[in-house]
Amino acid sequence: MLYVVLFFLVFSLYLYVVLGGADYGAGIVELFSSEENQKITKKTVYRVMGPVWEANHIWIIILIVILWIAFPVYYNIMVVYLHIPLTILLLGVTLRGVAFVFRHYDAIIDDSQKIYDGMFKISSLITPIVLGMIFGGLISGKINMTEDVSTLTFYDAFIRPWCNVFSVLVGVFFASLCAFLSSVLLIGESEGGKENIYIRKSAIAIIIVFIIGVLTFGYGYISENVFVQDFIKNPFAMICVTLSAVVLIPLWNAIKKGNTIWSRFFAGLQVFFILLAALGAHFPDILITETGSISLLDNIAPDSVIKVLGISLIIGGSVILPGLFHLLKSFKMIKILEQDTD
Amino acid sequence: MENLDAARLQMAFTLIFHIVFACIGMVMPFFMVVSHYKWLKTRDQVYLTLTKSWQKGVAIFFVTGAVSGTALSFELGLLWPEFMKHAGPIIGMPFSLEGAAFFVEAIALGFYLYGWNKLPEKFHWITGVIIGLSGVASGILVVAANGWMNAPSGFDYIDGKFLNIDPIQAMLNPAWFTQALHMTLAAFTATSFAVAGVHAYQIYRKRKIDLHKKAFKIAITFGAVAAILQPISGDISAKDIAVRQPVKLAAMEAHYDTEKGAPLYIGGIVNAKTQEVSYKIALPGMLSFLAFADFDAEVKGLNDFPEDERPNVPMVHYAFQVMVGIGSLLVLAGLLYFVSLKKKKWFNYNRYWLLFVILAPMGFIALEAGWIVTEVGRQPWIIHKIMRTKDAVTPMPGIVFSFYTYIAVYLSLSVAVTWLMLRQIKVLNNSNH
Repeated sequence: MLYVVLFFLVFSLYLYVVLGGADYGAGIVELFSSEENQKITKKTVYRVMGPVWEANHIWIIILIVILWIAFPVYYNIMVVYLHIPLTILLLGVTLRGVAFVFRHYDAIIDDSQKIYDGMFKISSLITPIVLGMIFGGLISGKINMTEDVSTLTFYDAFIRPWCNVFSVLVGVFFASLCAFLSSVLLIGESEGGKENIYIRKSAIAIIIVFIIGVLTFGYGYISENVFVQDFIKNPFAMICVTLSAVVLIPLWNAIKKGNTIWSRFFAGLQVFFILLAALGAHFPDILITETGSISLLDNIAPDSVIKVLGISLIIGGSVILPGLFHLLKSFKMIKILEQDTD
Repeated sequence: MENLDAARLQMAFTLIFHIVFACIGMVMPFFMVVSHYKWLKTRDQVYLTLTKSWQKGVAIFFVTGAVSGTALSFELGLLWPEFMKHAGPIIGMPFSLEGAAFFVEAIALGFYLYGWNKLPEKFHWITGVIIGLSGVASGILVVAANGWMNAPSGFDYIDGKFLNIDPIQAMLNPAWFTQALHMTLAAFTATSFAVAGVHAYQIYRKRKIDLHKKAFKIAITFGAVAAILQPISGDISAKDIAVRQPVKLAAMEAHYDTEKGAPLYIGGIVNAKTQEVSYKIALPGMLSFLAFADFDAEVKGLNDFPEDERPNVPMVHYAFQVMVGIGSLLVLAGLLYFVSLKKKKWFNYNRYWLLFVILAPMGFIALEAGWIVTEVGRQPWIIHKIMRTKDAVTPMPGIVFSFYTYIAVYLSLSVAVTWLMLRQIKVLNNSNH
């Protein structure tokens, strides 16, 4: 049953990165667009994301609930040492969510739209950066685990773990990945020959993703980051990274041709390989502190809990996934089905 | 401010806000689907206008409820890491099921909001019903988790360790049913009276009387029924607490000395030092009767419990009085509504509508007071008799800054949501139907 729980953990993480990521990316794309394109993007994003954006963000709740139920000790370390970025993340999620709804459900359209738009765009950029910084914090090796945190300075205990160059680079990497995912998604959704905007944006975004990725690794390598050093030595992670690089070729072709189905498929596949590499490089020790690694599988919940959680996830999944599939299908989010039915 | 106090205040503050958003997001879909049903049956455009207007309210409150709920799911760990480290696996089941119910709700909401003229009419309407049902299921599951904090079960506590965990027994703890029933009825009462009050105000100001009357009737029917049923649920809760958490019951009633045939105090000012309650109305034997269905039964007083295991008595007592007082008032208001259905001329009196305008916030005040009774009444424990709140708090100093940030964000959010609702009503009043 532990494997079922682990599957759902990775599955939720993947879907959050892809679906939630594309959602964050929409705000980032809007932020970095000309005024005219901003309007087009806002309209398209509403049409495309409107029905599903809330569902996209529930994956993070599922993720956090699995963590606290099945991996309480791991979760405990996260919430103590990464308290500040998690709080910023929450504020970002809150402001972004309400801005999205306010700008579409305000009964009167006036200048207040500017405030909602601003809130939406800025929080769409900051939230994924912070999310990336949290993951960076987990693997940057700066968490200083101690029995009594009062023996450390506030900076050493609660700021340095996540507010460091490596974590910031991971954060920017994730945000650019979000922008890329969203641009690819929007190619197939734009109307009236506007897809060129998003084809161009996808190309720019993937270049940025690549550059930041190299920078992150380069910096990690020079600064002797344990995660990066182990990553390079890990054949599984390296195979995944190579595959994600290989996928770039068909992805690039699909984007250039404006092929909606294949560009989405390869973009999703690329993220899958990146995530698999990131998790696989150090699994199960996905928490690197100053004094060593901590395994996700250390001190897990008792069997009785894992069993019930696994069953709940299977039952929940079998209700939610068909529903979600039907939702995506009804609003023509799954292009391959749309072509079949047309 | 001490870290513990700041953490408690932050938790209380975010919960107070979340509860309002969540209740409205949970109950309003029911009004929406009733109005939608009437539109489908009668094809009266007024019902369509009303449904679409309520749907915007549902969307806004659902999202504010969802994001403040997401924040809370993190805050549990951020503020109380020791609690979650041990309790997380035990009470995980209602939370994971709640996650699933919430997901279903979000999916159904996606269908409903964007399904007009795209989905078959019946299917579209059913998605609205699913929003409501899954919302109620979410509420019940979360309350079940809170019930566990009051009535911890489903594990053996040996030498400071939580062993032999049974998550199902933990979810179905002795408090889950009474609390969930009480809260569900409270959510319906509070939201219905609030929504009915808003529409009553529009009638009072003579705006779109036909539309607002229809809206008022739908909302108040739910509220009146729930308010009338609530005392029954309250009685079940009181009898349950008398056995499980006698110290909480004693604090609710400011009952200091154990006695047989204990009186029930209505109102009164508590002096915690002298342990005296002045200006109260005492009903002899009634507390014994309400707690144990026996006028002569012995009711334990606060002095029977160690001093460091008692909650803040005045706060719990006042909150309880407010809850029961308003609850009784709303029962009368509910009955008044049903009587007015027979005496239709009352609808022409402006003071009838003014009464419901005044009652609009009352349900929520009672509901918040009820949560103060539950939560403050459980102190100093975060898990009743197992873990103290002070032992669960985060070791990170400076929570007070996080508390101020939350105050700023949530207050702005409330102002914004209120402002949006006012704009919504303005547009509704200017609509053609």
